[in-house]
Amino acid sequence: MQTAAARRFGWKEAALALLVAVLAYQVVVPFAMIIWTSLKQARPGEEDFLSLSFTLANYARAYGGAAFWRISGNTLSFALAATLIAFVIGAFMAFVLARTNTPLAGFIGAMLIGRIVIPGILIAISWILVASPNIGLINQMTLRLAGLRNPVNIYSFWGMVFVQALELVPLTYLLLGAAFKAMDPRLEEASAMTGAGNWRTLRRISLPLALPAVAAALLLLFLTTIETFEVPLLMGTRAGIRVYTTEIFYDTSRTPIDWGLSSTYAMALLAVAIVLLFVYFRLIGHGERYQTITGKDFRPRRIDLGPWRYLTCALALILVFLITGVPFLMMLYASLLPFYQVPSAAAFTSMSFDNYLTLFHNSKTVAPMINSTILGPAVATTVVLIVALISYFVQKTRLRGRRLLDFLGFAPIAIPSVVLGATFFWFYLIVPLPIIGTLTIIGLAYLTKYMPVALRFVSASMMQIHAELDEAAQVAGVSWGRNFFKIMLPLLKPGLLAAWFWVMVHAYRELTIALMLARSQNRTAAVVIFDLWEEGSFLLLGAFAVLMFMVLTALCAVAHSISARFGVQEQPA
Amino acid sequence: MIEVAGLRKSFAGSGQAVAAVAGIDFAIKAGEMVTLLGPSGCGKTTTLRCLAGLEHPDDGRIVIGGQTMADAAAGTFVPPQRRNLGMVFQSYAIWPHMSVLENVAYALEGRGIRKAERAKRAMEALALVQLSALAERPAPWLSGGQQQRVAIAHAMVGRPQALLFDEPLSNLDAKLRIEMRNELRRIQRETGLTAIYVTHDQAEALAISDEIIVMKDGRIVERGRPVDIYRRPRHVFTAEFLGSTNLVAGTVAGVDAGRLAVTTALGRILGIDPTGTLAKGAKVMVSIRPEDLSTQTSAADTINRFEGRMIFAAFAGATVEAELHCGETRIACLLDRDADLTPGRTATLWAKPEACLVLPAE
Repeated sequence: MQTAAARRFGWKEAALALLVAVLAYQVVVPFAMIIWTSLKQARPGEEDFLSLSFTLANYARAYGGAAFWRISGNTLSFALAATLIAFVIGAFMAFVLARTNTPLAGFIGAMLIGRIVIPGILIAISWILVASPNIGLINQMTLRLAGLRNPVNIYSFWGMVFVQALELVPLTYLLLGAAFKAMDPRLEEASAMTGAGNWRTLRRISLPLALPAVAAALLLLFLTTIETFEVPLLMGTRAGIRVYTTEIFYDTSRTPIDWGLSSTYAMALLAVAIVLLFVYFRLIGHGERYQTITGKDFRPRRIDLGPWRYLTCALALILVFLITGVPFLMMLYASLLPFYQVPSAAAFTSMSFDNYLTLFHNSKTVAPMINSTILGPAVATTVVLIVALISYFVQKTRLRGRRLLDFLGFAPIAIPSVVLGATFFWFYLIVPLPIIGTLTIIGLAYLTKYMPVALRFVSASMMQIHAELDEAAQVAGVSWGRNFFKIMLPLLKPGLLAAWFWVMVHAYRELTIALMLARSQNRTAAVVIFDLWEEGSFLLLGAFAVLMFMVLTALCAVAHSISARFGVQEQPA
Repeated sequence: MIEVAGLRKSFAGSGQAVAAVAGIDFAIKAGEMVTLLGPSGCGKTTTLRCLAGLEHPDDGRIVIGGQTMADAAAGTFVPPQRRNLGMVFQSYAIWPHMSVLENVAYALEGRGIRKAERAKRAMEALALVQLSALAERPAPWLSGGQQQRVAIAHAMVGRPQALLFDEPLSNLDAKLRIEMRNELRRIQRETGLTAIYVTHDQAEALAISDEIIVMKDGRIVERGRPVDIYRRPRHVFTAEFLGSTNLVAGTVAGVDAGRLAVTTALGRILGIDPTGTLAKGAKVMVSIRPEDLSTQTSAADTINRFEGRMIFAAFAGATVEAELHCGETRIACLLDRDADLTPGRTATLWAKPEACLVLPAE
């Protein structure tokens, strides 16, 4: 007869212990690092760094200067403007594509989502090629055709806002599209039965119902822009518009590194993020009252726009061209040219695949592509397993302190990438693990970075799994581990897949963290793009970008065909 | 076979803990089918989940088949995997990513049984619930009744020492519910398994059980064979909850040869005392079931006659559901379909003393 204590420690408890250890190491430590460093004048690695003497000197230095407040103003106004514009465009797209009978809705939606494989840095670069002074496509054209000199300048506040807003539209579309689709048409039908027309129903029923999702989306967009890096780095620096993220990057990448100052900027960024998240959670909590997702199968009612649907279709096509078409076509165009030039008959006849051949013969570009191809799927798989465990323990057990797991899993969303990158670098300067300069350190940082979003995907999926499906497996007398892999994971497939693809694509193309942790051996695809840009090799950059799209698309296709073999089988209609 | 002693379980409610099960004891003999019956929130499902091992009891002991499964005082808790029980859930808990056969065979995995043997035993279980033909079908493609059968096969395939049913029929339509409850009873009798069945449906409980345990507010009210608990309940709650009944408040005026005379608003009622505890002067409720009232009186019946005015009558096929006003008291009765149903008509109702149960007022 076993003792009670021995019986209580099985796979389930081992998994839980491992999970707590991972969360402590990956989440609690980075948070502690940021705060600790900001209170220190010594640098990570110096002896005094580990002593218990603290100082507020960094804060005094940072927040005392006019620069800090100017940068704060830049950060907030840039984020606010980009968020609002992205929201208006994204809401228009989501509503038109999800709730009206606009033609080509499926195609336009797919193109919007497809944009996610294009890294932020390429979007910024494409628009620089299109609208920068002197070399920009538009300015060259206007000079040639109308003699106008530089009517547009992307290196400006509104240039940054424009590009950032376009970058955010696919995310806005994803967030709002789900909310619009999840509206129960019966609520609207009930309104129609009272004699209300389309417009009144929209204004009085549909919009108020979507309000929590709308508010949450706005906050998330704002948060994403606050911590965005590519546009401020490539365009803001030239325009003289500095924001938190670029400050942190320059403070940690110039010599001598200003650790203290960058960590106080990191604290400012963290503070803004935490305030926003607090509001976000209040809204989400409030939103549960509105829960319009019943789990029942229904098709949202589509509003008949009449002849106006051709106008909405044209508008949506123009927008999707700006969002997805421009970056893709610019890269494709550049990749085929022998030297950079404005499109012309001569340009098209001179096209060849030489740039691609150059890439294949250069190990400095091949190795990083392989690095990213390893990082993406490896990080995605690990993250997805971790968040599946978190959401299992949070939702399907009555474990004491399970809310803390959820909180820890989501907390890293408050840490901007640039801060996360710096933190991991600092931490491994102190900890004697020889992983600086390897893929491992980037992978570990990504683990923390992508946990929160993956957790949201998987939690939503876990919520739809009836508790009895798990309980029946327990009573069936099968071990916990087998139940987890053979029952829970297959049932979670929709959420796991969404999370896996999201993390894989983002980890593949991520720039900020990779750039901060990059050495010669662990450069990723996005870092190569940045380097090629800095060198001015636009043509190789174009070819590299096109290859990257192809590899990512192939990865997605392989993963999709593997996943199709598991999970719930759809009943033929 | 199953023994529960001093079982308690509370849940953290808003601010304070709510006791779902507030100390219950019962024992069940091998091969019996016992129903836990009560309104929602009475603790019946929590009790069942404690038996299954899906809840940790706060206090008390659970012994199944001679093995202590949970003993809060000793810190013993056997997880559900090791209790060797079969459970049928309200939602059927069919795993949608598996076929019917896989669903049933899953319970045999991890027990060192070869795959061919697992499939064979799963097919046997499917034969028992008459689903052999659908073994290869993906489980979600089945109808509600078929899913229910899969759930039963799944619960039984591991040859459990007892079966637990958590309101298994509540998602089925009325006709299927009756068919399935007879089916359940057949399977339970055939296999000779001990079974505990949780329901809030009194008709289901009466039809299916060897014994019924009536629960209310986390405690056991009373227990007995279906016919006893229906015919001779010892609590007003039971009389009201099982079937419908007329309750008339009164005071015991005298006890004579096992019969009690009770003074009520309807006059003097002669009845019996199933509890055997009532003495003169006790405040009581007299329970008379609608089907025990009749308008067919003979001159010999001089007692328990109630005169009233017909208020309402609804034809219900075999009988007529009628309501009479006897003074201030409304009396519901099931009458013969040939009875005169003219509203406003005066009628005399009669009930024999054996049908008038005198119960302590609560």
